[in-house]
Amino acid sequence: MKPAPFRYYRARSLLEAIDFLSGPAADGKLLAGGQSLIPLLNLRLARTDALIDLNPISDLSYIRKEGAEIAVGALTRQREMEYSALLAKELPLIAEAMPQIGHPAIRNRGTVGGSLAHADPAAELPCVLTALDGRLVVAGPDGERVIRAEDFFVGLYTTALSHQEILKEVRISLARRPVGWSFVEFARRHGDFALSEVSALLYADEGADRCSSVRVIVGGSVERPLRVASVEKLIQDEVSLGLEGKPLVQLLKQAESYTETEMRSSVATSEDSEYLCHLTGVLVRRALESAILRWR
Amino acid sequence: MKAPEPVKLSTEVNGASFQGEVEPRKTLADFLREDAGCTGVHLGCEHGVCGACSVLLDGAVVRSCILLAVQADGSKITTIEGLAEGEKLHPVQQAFLDHHALQCGFCTPGMILATVDFLQRCPRPTETQIREALSGNLCMCTGYVNIVRAVKEAAKQLKQL
Amino acid sequence: MTQNKYIGKAIRPREDQRFVTGGGLYLADISFPKMLHAAILRSIHPHARIVSIDTTEALKVPGVVAVFTGEQVRARSKPLRSLVPLPVEAPYYCLAWEKVRYVGEPVVAVAAESRYIAEDALEKIRVEYEPLPAVIDPEAAMNSDAPLLFDSLGTNVLWHDWFTYGDVDGVFRQASRVFSDRVVIHRYASTPLETFGCVAAYDEARQYLTLWTNDQRPGQAMPILSHSLGLANAQIRLITADIGGGFGNKRKPPYLVLAALLSRASGQPVQFIEDRRENLMALVHACNGVMDLEVAVGADGRLLGLKVRDIADEGANLLNPTVHSLLKLGNITNCYDIRAVRFEGYSVMTNKCPSGANRGIGKPFMCFALERMVDNMARRLGRDRIELRRQNLIPPESIPYTTPTGSLIDSGNFPETLNKLLSLIEYQSFQQEQRNARSQGRWLGLGLALAVEPSTSNQSSYILTTRKRNASGAAEAAMVRVESDGSIQVVLADVGSGQGHQTAASQIVADELGVDLEAVHVSPFFDSLVSPWLYTTGNYSNKFAGTDVGAIQGAARKVREKLLSLAAHLLNTAREELELMDGVVRSKKDSNIRKTLQELAHVAYRDLLSLPPEMEPGLEGRYYYRPSLANLPDEQRRVRNQLFVSNAGHAAVVEVDVETGKVSILKYAIVHDCGTVLNPVIVEGLVHGATAHGIGAALYEEFVYDPEGNLLTTTFVDYLKPTAVEIPDFKTDHLESPSPFTPLGMKGVGEGGAIPAPAALANAVENALEPLGVRLGDLPLTPERVWKAVRAARKKTD
Repeated sequence: MKPAPFRYYRARSLLEAIDFLSGPAADGKLLAGGQSLIPLLNLRLARTDALIDLNPISDLSYIRKEGAEIAVGALTRQREMEYSALLAKELPLIAEAMPQIGHPAIRNRGTVGGSLAHADPAAELPCVLTALDGRLVVAGPDGERVIRAEDFFVGLYTTALSHQEILKEVRISLARRPVGWSFVEFARRHGDFALSEVSALLYADEGADRCSSVRVIVGGSVERPLRVASVEKLIQDEVSLGLEGKPLVQLLKQAESYTETEMRSSVATSEDSEYLCHLTGVLVRRALESAILRWR
Repeated sequence: MKAPEPVKLSTEVNGASFQGEVEPRKTLADFLREDAGCTGVHLGCEHGVCGACSVLLDGAVVRSCILLAVQADGSKITTIEGLAEGEKLHPVQQAFLDHHALQCGFCTPGMILATVDFLQRCPRPTETQIREALSGNLCMCTGYVNIVRAVKEAAKQLKQL
Repeated sequence: MTQNKYIGKAIRPREDQRFVTGGGLYLADISFPKMLHAAILRSIHPHARIVSIDTTEALKVPGVVAVFTGEQVRARSKPLRSLVPLPVEAPYYCLAWEKVRYVGEPVVAVAAESRYIAEDALEKIRVEYEPLPAVIDPEAAMNSDAPLLFDSLGTNVLWHDWFTYGDVDGVFRQASRVFSDRVVIHRYASTPLETFGCVAAYDEARQYLTLWTNDQRPGQAMPILSHSLGLANAQIRLITADIGGGFGNKRKPPYLVLAALLSRASGQPVQFIEDRRENLMALVHACNGVMDLEVAVGADGRLLGLKVRDIADEGANLLNPTVHSLLKLGNITNCYDIRAVRFEGYSVMTNKCPSGANRGIGKPFMCFALERMVDNMARRLGRDRIELRRQNLIPPESIPYTTPTGSLIDSGNFPETLNKLLSLIEYQSFQQEQRNARSQGRWLGLGLALAVEPSTSNQSSYILTTRKRNASGAAEAAMVRVESDGSIQVVLADVGSGQGHQTAASQIVADELGVDLEAVHVSPFFDSLVSPWLYTTGNYSNKFAGTDVGAIQGAARKVREKLLSLAAHLLNTAREELELMDGVVRSKKDSNIRKTLQELAHVAYRDLLSLPPEMEPGLEGRYYYRPSLANLPDEQRRVRNQLFVSNAGHAAVVEVDVETGKVSILKYAIVHDCGTVLNPVIVEGLVHGATAHGIGAALYEEFVYDPEGNLLTTTFVDYLKPTAVEIPDFKTDHLESPSPFTPLGMKGVGEGGAIPAPAALANAVENALEPLGVRLGDLPLTPERVWKAVRAARKKTD
């Protein structure tokens, strides 16, 4: 199980990497953490004439607060995010999701940019970033542009990146802070890619009894992170701080069933998808329950 | 097919420096086994699942089968062969020995190195934390029971150092 | 025995020292100058005719030295010999010839300067196939219009036979109730972490082949190699070093033949090591199958008779078909006193990976079927599942007990195993715990299973299925040698694959020779040139206790006798007055009259004229030990197909999340009885590991074929091995019922975990979901399957 031959380009800066992409390594692939790419190359399920190694680019690994935003460099290792005190304080949803990504050895190498650009819908970061309405800064020969997470993930392993572009940074606004949050995932074994996963965020104004907005994003057995709009609306309309007991249970049940319905219309229905639709409904309910508890 | 140009590689393996060239596609695991002579790096799956090829790259555990050798440029690598200080075993090695935390020994180097990384970050682990931390390393022989015991013991020993 | 200082002691396995420092010497670490690396192009079709193969471009790849097709190996080797006589000729070679019969079957081999280059060359090979309809389901494969794997056989059924023991028809007529069930078992494998491999170095000048391999049955590999390659046994040297796990999986003579042919053609050593994908596709899978059971029960709940109709899916296995069936026959009544048994067995070929040995071979399936059945019967009879078991256990006073099929339960106390298990799992307090949990909406269940664990295969049992006499009996060999400096060397034929054989052997030899453990050096290598060995040599069927111990002990005793005789001569004392203790032979009366091992060795190897005139120089003992229990089938076709019977009880407490179907193991208890425990550290480890295999098979692992015959689980991303998170801590307890028939009372230990675990877990899940009336189907119990079973039960009650 050995990779086919390829040329290797070591990029020392983002600009150099972009030059490689538009020049000698035009047919190449970008190598970040490589935790998905190299296995595929080893299995010869993926192949490339050239690899552009982004790892030597030293200034793309950072987690910092810039005004009312968190900026994370694309080459930041997942392990840095997992142990980041800043993220734990400012973006607890990310902190909750990080330990569920693969295993420590994977997170030591895997990068935030690599995971997002690979766009595996069963990965954690695309789901979380979509929930947080993150923005992705991408650089190309013509300069930079910013893409909203929701627009970035186009489909299965497909993003809005053009072939000449490289993901540079992720930015998440802190202007609105969720009052409740939760990330839940269901996998066959610990560390596996999710069969299904849910990010839930509740936003409410200071002292308010109701949510000003709700985000519910599903990942796993979908083509790309999926907003469950019907559930978002339901929770926004119906949930209040005081809601508890049976009415809350009923509302959450309703959210579960809305999710199943939405899932059925967005995944190809088959004998297998039946379980996945159901499972996702359960996870949405559980995520919302935990988010609401945190609100209190 | 014309072979791609070899790439310069300068790295340090268990304290010994390596300056030379490697084929770009050569995995770090193959480089360590074939060029650096570290046969304690074991190939169990070659697609980044089993953890048998784990090594420490600048102190952090990584899977050397899904890294390219060229990516180790400028780094320091520790394999199982470089863990003991002379005759004195590393406390994690000693704990694995004391608790018979292995049978066939094939997963052992990776398991030990993953433990070294883990205990650096989490010196007072719970059993759940230990199990999660090692879930990236498969052992087909032990059922993990003695491994978990050894990691607990190693944590105790390391604390006393 | 001169002392009992080490046997039974918790001695830390000495091999661990080299493994924690990276000092293991595994197959991949064996390397020679100019060594080539082989890679194999494999079939992408489940069943197809090979129309043409074009290797021209592959040969042009720089660094490629040799390329072989099936046609070429056929010209250079004889067909592979099966271990079991087959009903008709079905010739096959180390590469597919004319046809491919499963996805992953080797088609073309390349030897090149590196594995990278060899894989590059594979991509240049063009194979034209004419796809044929494939048959995947073993029952479908039995139909007369099913596609045939071997046209020459005229059928896919390799073997079909039935065995009746006792008055089966009578007890079924008299039975107050007859219960029947159909049980399906899936394909899985223990997948040792080190894959299979070999290095072949053919020396043309001397016409001599040296083969390094991690094949766990060198004794069987040798005659196959010899026959296929047209070389005498004496022209082949087989060596094994550290083996990174075996579990039955690691035996593949075709790869050894292939590497040897490539080496002979290239004049260079050739290494072939499976990658994990090849390992999962094409090494071996545990036999899947379908079993129909009928049990006749008396009015009082006594199990009177058992009928089993078993269809074993051999895949494309021609190496050792019927092995699963035979071993099922051997433990068919488990630990129960059932006097009438009928077994109808089929061995059927399908277009899948060859089936073969995997921890327990057939026994886990048989135990699963019966232990699930007992739970089901208890429920339908309104009986307590523990009491129903207790009532039917073979009573301790009847042991040694011969089962209807001729197996001898040589030792054990099943009621005691059960009692210990119940107390270890805290069965009584669980009832309350379960009620409390249910009232909180949590679904907790407790399941248990008992198992006999027969070990040490008797080769004559194959006579039952083949009706031909080939090999018979059981045996293993060892050598002990006091070297000329007085140090002690032990050479084993069965060096193990992680079971601490070096340590166990040193414990036995140290006690026999009355020396310190440290004085005994046990070679980790099997080397056909050095090790005494025979056809039955190897690491399988848990035979260490049954044959290896006797060989080691026998060899040590030969040396001991010689040491005593020599000392008697030198000291001019009667042999009976001497004893061997603490590394010296001394007089029992006056310990100043003594000879050290060094002094004796000096005489035996150098000062030869001091030897008694009739005494052969040297201090070497070779011993081939053959347990006397091994027999031939009698007229009623009864045979002891495995000789020494350990037993185990497993109990699991699980929680089922009915919404997601997830099964979590909260508590797991194991009671194990393998007779005398030679080394508790080793025994404990083996019990843990085997149990993990059973848990993997029950909850996670499955080779999935689609209906067309494509294998969907070819990586460790899809084939799910349990990790440290999925495997719980185990509570263990032991019973020591020594076998009266083994040298130290030891019995097999490596399978007792794998055999009952799947039944214990399935029983636990059903117990948890009892109020819903859930009935489980196929293994593994994936969340999806459990959820669907819950849903189906709820629909029924709605």
